[in-house]
Amino acid sequence: MVGAFDYAPAIVLLPFLSFVLSLTAGKYLPKGGAFGGIAATAGSLILSAWVFLTVSAGNAYNETLYTWAAGVGEGTTTLTFGLLLDPLAAMMLLIVSLVALLVHVFSLGYMNDEGETGLPRYYAGLGLFTASMLGFVVADNLLMAFMFFELVGLCSYLLIGFWFREEGPPSAAKKAFLVTRFGDYFFLVGVVGVFATFGTAKFAGEAAFPVIAEEALAGGAEVTTFGFAPETWFTILGLLILGGVIGKSAQFPLHTWLPDAMEGPTPVSALIHAATMVAAGVYLVARMYGFYALSPTALGIVALVGGFTALFAATMGVVKRDIKQVLAYSTISQYGYMMLGLGAGGYVAATFHLLTHAFFKALLFLGAGAVIIAMHHDEDMWNMGGLKNRMPVTYYTFLSGSLALAGIVPFAGFWSKDEVLYEALIHGLAGSPLLLAGYAMGLVAVFFTGFYTFRMVFLTFHGEPRTETARNPHGVRWNVKGPLVVLGVLAATVGVVNMVPLHDLTGGFPPEYLHDWLAHGELSALTSEHYGELLHDYAGYTSADVASYVAGAVSLALALAGVLTAHVLYNVADPDEHTAKLGAVKTLWYNNYYQDEYQIWIAESFVLPLARLADKFDQGIVDGVVNGVSSVSLFAGNRIRRIQTGVVSNYAVLLTLGLTALLVVFGVLGGWFV
Amino acid sequence: MPLQTQLPTWTAIAPTVLLGLTALVLLLVDSVDPDSTRPTALAAVSVGGSVATLAVAGWYLLAGTGQVGGAIRLYGGSLVIDGLSLFFTVIVASVVAMVSLASHDYLQDRTYQAEFYSLVLLAATGMSLMASAGSLATVFVSLELASLPSYALVAFLKKNRGSVEAGLKYFLVGAVSSGVLVFGISLVYAVTGSLLLSDVATAIGDAGDFVGVAGIGVVMIAGGFAFKTASVPFHFWAPEAYEGAPAPISAFLSSASKAAGFAVAFRVFAVAFPLDAVVPMGIDWPLLFAVLAVVTMTLGNFAAATQENVKRMLAYSSVGHAGYALIGLAALSGGGPNGDVMGASMAHLLVYGFMNTGAFLFIAMVERWGLGRTFEDYNGLATRAPVACLAMTVFMFSLAGLPPFGGFLSKYALFYGAIQGGFWWLAAVGAINSALSLFYYSRVVRAMWIEDPVDGDGVDLGATPLGLYVAVLIAAVGTLALLPAFGPVVETAQSAATALFA
Repeated sequence: MVGAFDYAPAIVLLPFLSFVLSLTAGKYLPKGGAFGGIAATAGSLILSAWVFLTVSAGNAYNETLYTWAAGVGEGTTTLTFGLLLDPLAAMMLLIVSLVALLVHVFSLGYMNDEGETGLPRYYAGLGLFTASMLGFVVADNLLMAFMFFELVGLCSYLLIGFWFREEGPPSAAKKAFLVTRFGDYFFLVGVVGVFATFGTAKFAGEAAFPVIAEEALAGGAEVTTFGFAPETWFTILGLLILGGVIGKSAQFPLHTWLPDAMEGPTPVSALIHAATMVAAGVYLVARMYGFYALSPTALGIVALVGGFTALFAATMGVVKRDIKQVLAYSTISQYGYMMLGLGAGGYVAATFHLLTHAFFKALLFLGAGAVIIAMHHDEDMWNMGGLKNRMPVTYYTFLSGSLALAGIVPFAGFWSKDEVLYEALIHGLAGSPLLLAGYAMGLVAVFFTGFYTFRMVFLTFHGEPRTETARNPHGVRWNVKGPLVVLGVLAATVGVVNMVPLHDLTGGFPPEYLHDWLAHGELSALTSEHYGELLHDYAGYTSADVASYVAGAVSLALALAGVLTAHVLYNVADPDEHTAKLGAVKTLWYNNYYQDEYQIWIAESFVLPLARLADKFDQGIVDGVVNGVSSVSLFAGNRIRRIQTGVVSNYAVLLTLGLTALLVVFGVLGGWFV
Repeated sequence: MPLQTQLPTWTAIAPTVLLGLTALVLLLVDSVDPDSTRPTALAAVSVGGSVATLAVAGWYLLAGTGQVGGAIRLYGGSLVIDGLSLFFTVIVASVVAMVSLASHDYLQDRTYQAEFYSLVLLAATGMSLMASAGSLATVFVSLELASLPSYALVAFLKKNRGSVEAGLKYFLVGAVSSGVLVFGISLVYAVTGSLLLSDVATAIGDAGDFVGVAGIGVVMIAGGFAFKTASVPFHFWAPEAYEGAPAPISAFLSSASKAAGFAVAFRVFAVAFPLDAVVPMGIDWPLLFAVLAVVTMTLGNFAAATQENVKRMLAYSSVGHAGYALIGLAALSGGGPNGDVMGASMAHLLVYGFMNTGAFLFIAMVERWGLGRTFEDYNGLATRAPVACLAMTVFMFSLAGLPPFGGFLSKYALFYGAIQGGFWWLAAVGAINSALSLFYYSRVVRAMWIEDPVDGDGVDLGATPLGLYVAVLIAAVGTLALLPAFGPVVETAQSAATALFA
């Protein structure tokens, strides 16, 4: 029977088609190819929904579709493209295609209505971006995932640098590309390492690499570990791949590209932050969670990096003036939570946060986009104020997203963030100080999150308008409001799928839909149930007994404290720059802990001299040898040229002498004259 | 079923006869109508004759004439028709066809056109005979038959000092070389008492005390062939003759004449001086050719690298390629894969016939347009004549031995054969020289495609010389087609060469 899985490749191919169409014929299409993109992503969404329903019925799909390099003989590997559709992938497909569709629609308002040029290029970029991310989501092996991961990186480069005639965007695009590439380099080494170790890079199935790794640890399978103990080697591989994750998901210390990436068009920021680029890193860890769950060290590092990033980024978000900058740091911080969740053994919690965050962050960016349209592309919050009455739809949807981000009950972000922290707490209390440290940082960050989120809301929408533009904002149309409303509703309600504290409090109602969704499946090695066993058996994770509603109450109280602080300080008619009172701390935060500066310092004081040395070697020794050879050749050539005097009697002499020389030499050698 | 069982044996010489007849027809036309102003008819006869020759020789080659069931010997063995002779007749006929086609435009408004074509075809007849020569007497006569018209052809531009001077120099060096050759033949005859190659082969082993005489004879014969193939130290005529001659004649001499020189050298040395017999006696002719190969390719490439004049650069590159082809005579040893090495060399000469002819014909076209001769004069030519420049780029890269062109595989097969035979150092010298050659070949490409024209692009190239264009394109297509078609070509050549050693 032909089912959803047979059409699944079209989920990826439709946006790709839109890319090709916009690129080749965008000039002739209405709206620069926007409708093609909308139709394609809508098609992907419908197919994704169908796949989702099919997966709900307990099916899964794990097939190789195309072998592009077949290994011949012993010890070779075969490189393939294939699809892996399990509950995780189905959920992610739904998120990505929905957000991509809404971003396409929103772009009509943000780009077309604003009279931007180069729209075919823009929509081609969006199409390819969506297609690459969808391809990444359905990838059934690590190499294919890597390829699409790189494509995602390329698209982010193209779109962040969309306004390439200005000064900032090209530089930001380059930075995004180079910084993520730095992480991807480790990822690539990791991919090669996985192939060398297991001979396969498949995520699922009998001969999947996490399965082989598990068997190897249990003593049931032989793998090449290059002289390391299997545990150590798997940790090394996990950390190598983590390099790519840290780059893409903008975790410390490779997060510096993300705030700069705000130079791109705002709908692109929404896409990058909510569904595509940044989500790819976290998704990758979730995708191969069966592998990470085997290594407590790797998990600990994931958790620590996540917790630290969550706090670190949240503090910087406190002092920003630019609305998109606040959102950028909130993204880094929120992905930190997801990493914390994954590292703490909360696979479901992290996945849940990935889901809710996708909706409320897309919402916030699109809301910010609406504000930016209204403000004639002024992004400084200190120039806004009082927009609440002038753009109510934007305000209320933005408020919904902000409540979700701040983690206020009952908005989506509360449930998911709370569960992440809860998982960190229970596994930490059971004897893991590393996780406890992560939890502590995450908890502190909750306060900051509440504060900066509502500082942003109050500065933007409340109080008196501080500029003429804010008094008479530019109106927005349905194509902006529509996506906002859809996402606003989702941000408020999507938490329903997994209300753990409520479930525990009431003793079983409502059901934890997401837990059930991820716990079972045809591919038993990819279920959260199995991951739980792995965590217990190999990573030694056990849980302390803490009631989930108690932990939830703590984080809610902190979030409310943050919101209240913001309310007191900023929800007045004419707020002051209270952050100035922070003094040196503000300067430190405003300058992002001088992260860029120290990275530039590293680049200039270590990499540059090294590069100079390599250049000297190349110029001096390699080129020197080459040039030397060529000058010797040319000199010799010149000499040889002079033999050709043009005087024919000289030729006759030389010819005769040459012949005589040959005769004498060979005569002597051959003993002819004896 | 091989042809010789169905046709009278004398028909095996048909390709050579066809070339000669075409020359005579041209002379006849000229005698009947001496003031003829029908250049197209003359060119057509010439092209037709050479294509017919090509067809017959190709047909024989494919049908197995002289290959299946042994070589065909005519006139008491003084002519031998086998794979080698047919293979080289194919090369010569292809080059003559392209050159004749191109000459139609090149000779426009010149007198003595009929003489030009008939001289080309007479020389080609000599070359074809060289490839079939079965006795040292035929070798000498055919070599002279090829040489004498060539001298006249080089000096064809009677009012051009360079052309006449080059012709005279060519003639004088040629006379010296012929003297050397014929002296060598006489010494070998003195030792063996025979001129037939097969008889020489049996007799030379018994040279006894006369090994010195035989040795000097062998070296002098090698010298005579070195003249024809433009190898060191008999190469002095080549740069001047190629530069001074009309460009189609340069193409003809550097491709067909060189190939014929190798044909006769391959046959004489492989058949008359068998390795097993003469090397133990102290006549180590593969070593002699190895020395000549290394010196020739090095000198040719180094000199080519410093030229400013494109035609002269090609002349030296032609000397360099003689060095590569000499590997086919050098990388030989008793019991080695001799047939494969020599066959690879033959295949290289075939590919070379197309790419080098094409390159010289491109220069003929540039001369026809009245552009200058140096690299600078080629600057920005691609904007004005993109198709021709694309063809020239193919020739240059193929000559340098880059994939995906025919020259890559033929050089590869040649060097690979040398390594198989244990002569890795010859292959190494060849590879280094190829790398150097890329330098000066790419100069042409850079000038055409990358540099800006010096005098603006206002100069009109005038009418498109159709015949030249077509000839250049045929050469380019041939160069490209010889990449996929290289397998059967090299197999044919190697089986033909293996038959010589048998």
